[in-house]
Amino acid sequence: MNIVVTVKQVADPNIPPSHIQLDDEAKRIISPFGIPPVMNGYDANALEEALRLREAHQGKITAITLGEESSRDVLKRAVAMGANTAVLLSDPEWLHADSASVGQLIAAGIKKSGPFDLVLCGRQASDTDGGQVLHWIARYLDIPVITPVVKIDAVEGDTITVQRLTDDGVQRLKVKLPALLGVSSEMNEPRLPSMRGLMGAGRAMIAAWKKKDIPVELPAPRVELRKLAIQIRDSKAEMIPGKTGAEQGAALADKLREKGLI
Amino acid sequence: MPGILVIGEVAGGRLLPASLEAAAAGAALAKSFGEPLFGALMGDAGGALDSATEAFAAGFATLYLVEHASLHSYTAHAHASAAQAVINAAGPSVVICPHTLRAREWVPCLAAAIDTGLIMDCTGVAADGADLVAHKPVLGGGVVGEFVIRAKPIAPRIVTLRSGASARAADAPNAKVERLPFEATANDRVTLLEEIAAQTSSGPKISDAKIVVSGGRGLGSPDNWHHIEAAASALGAAVGCSRPVADSGWVNSSHQVGLSGNSINAELYVAIGISGAVQHLAGINSSAVVAAINTDAQADIFTRAKYGVAGDYKEVLPAFVERVRQLKG
Ligand SMILES: Cc1cc2nc3c(=O)[nH]c(=O)nc-3n(C[C@H](O)[C@H](O)[C@H](O)COP(=O)(O)OP(=O)(O)OC[C@H]3O[C@@H](n4cnc5c(N)ncnc54)[C@H](O)[C@@H]3O)c2cc1C
Ligand SMILES: Nc1ncnc2c1ncn2[C@@H]1O[C@H](COP(=O)(O)O)[C@@H](O)[C@H]1O
Repeated sequence: MNIVVTVKQVADPNIPPSHIQLDDEAKRIISPFGIPPVMNGYDANALEEALRLREAHQGKITAITLGEESSRDVLKRAVAMGANTAVLLSDPEWLHADSASVGQLIAAGIKKSGPFDLVLCGRQASDTDGGQVLHWIARYLDIPVITPVVKIDAVEGDTITVQRLTDDGVQRLKVKLPALLGVSSEMNEPRLPSMRGLMGAGRAMIAAWKKKDIPVELPAPRVELRKLAIQIRDSKAEMIPGKTGAEQGAALADKLREKGLI
Repeated sequence: MPGILVIGEVAGGRLLPASLEAAAAGAALAKSFGEPLFGALMGDAGGALDSATEAFAAGFATLYLVEHASLHSYTAHAHASAAQAVINAAGPSVVICPHTLRAREWVPCLAAAIDTGLIMDCTGVAADGADLVAHKPVLGGGVVGEFVIRAKPIAPRIVTLRSGASARAADAPNAKVERLPFEATANDRVTLLEEIAAQTSSGPKISDAKIVVSGGRGLGSPDNWHHIEAAASALGAAVGCSRPVADSGWVNSSHQVGLSGNSINAELYVAIGISGAVQHLAGINSSAVVAAINTDAQADIFTRAKYGVAGDYKEVLPAFVERVRQLKG
């Protein structure tokens, strides 16, 4: 089974709000000093699931990313976790691509990297909170997409059976391969790279493709980002006093009653 | 004259309240653009759709209905094609949908299929000349992006709205209802095998409860979850949780509050053992009063909470519950 996993390098989503920095010119989030960028969390879940599928069904895992030259690091991490090959799509012209174009480029990269049965993406990236790119990839690959997927039940022949989260439970769906799944965090706990993996990853061959390698004509952007602004929350709660926890608890109930909330 | 199309959502046998918020945002946009306001609902003919039609109809020039058995159980394919049928009939310049869990799947499917501009999980939309401007939190909510979709050549422009983004529509005359013919195309690549309803707690639904009591990783272990259940039952509240609690399977994901879970509509939100990450706060509407119990007086939750208790929930919560029971008699 050949699996492609899309992995995006993102600013650490746990950056304390007070430490967030923006590059106004480039309309980008800057990773503050000491808080390096990370692999998007849902993409780590997707890669973990790919590794488990490979353990059960053999095959090959390709990790692919689109980003700046420095996003090589996220591919190295993917290889350290166990991906067989890695592809970096990087061209200055692509840095401001919108979700649709990013999806179109990644789809072209996936096609170029060889035959595949399954594409695993994260359900969303924690920097854009977009939840779109996976759908554009699926569209340009002309394959079905299911998201958010919380469990893979079985792979049999050319079908995969998955569980998709709904508002009040899950749906079990049988999907014909090739297909694309948007992976959610309920699916698994991503492994940490092993020592050996980390050492090997330093030497890993990473294919780097530019515009001349991926000849797609991008349309005018459908969506434009005009500006980013930091949201500041600087209010402070009224703290409920009390000599003991029990006193505070009762006082909180009284306060909520006094305010007509309960 | 194109129009603004609001696609409401019928689920669990009723119109989701977030549909009315989307309608309010649509009405404001229709006014700014000087375009008519259309509505649409899709579902299986009969009960739920009929009552939803009644609840939704106010204020639209036309309310389009797509009734088809294939829309009984949600699948992205059927929903996106039904929406496409409405778009073909109404020819809108903008489409607005509530940002529900299923909308996160079928709306981008639709946008990609018809190759148009989409911005999801917006907290506000407005007209800027002929362009559409949307505000959307990114990086979990620590940053807000201002996005633009130009009038040309992108049509229709699609946005999904986060619950709590705008006030509900006031009463207005009911729309003329128009039923659209719909030929469901079979999808031979995806088959729905079954729907498994989650084992959830009793009490109100989290999406429309007036009070939500939510527990986080600070509860320590699933064995302590009964504390949350007890507090919720004393308050007549729905039970919520943070993501690590759902990921670890202490409770079902359908209780999760936040960016990747539910947006709640509560007036009071009680957060217990929750640190207050931006991604969690993203699920709490801005008008909700937050009360928090956390051992760490520096926890971020206290920058959003109105009332805070710095303490161990094991000491605070039982006394709180007892007092609530007394007060409620
Ligand atoms: C893309 C993305 C999407 C996400 N979506 C969501 C989402 O939808 N919802 C969500 O919740 N999170 C979401 N998260 C995760 C989020 O970033 C946080 O990791 C998460 O909300 C933390 O959960 P928590 O507060 O329960 O746990 P923690 O951050 O571990 O906090 C536990 C808290 O409990 C307190 N505590 C410990 N013991 C006690 C005690 N005895 N009594 C009282 N308090 C105690 C601690 O002081 C601490 O503040 C998302 C993250 C990403 C990257
Ligand atoms: N630049 C990128 N490189 C690799 N994968 C990406 C990129 N952008 C998005 N993706 C994938 O698409 C998913 C959804 O992204 P988004 O639409 O930005 O939320 C992510 O979880 C990734 O798996």
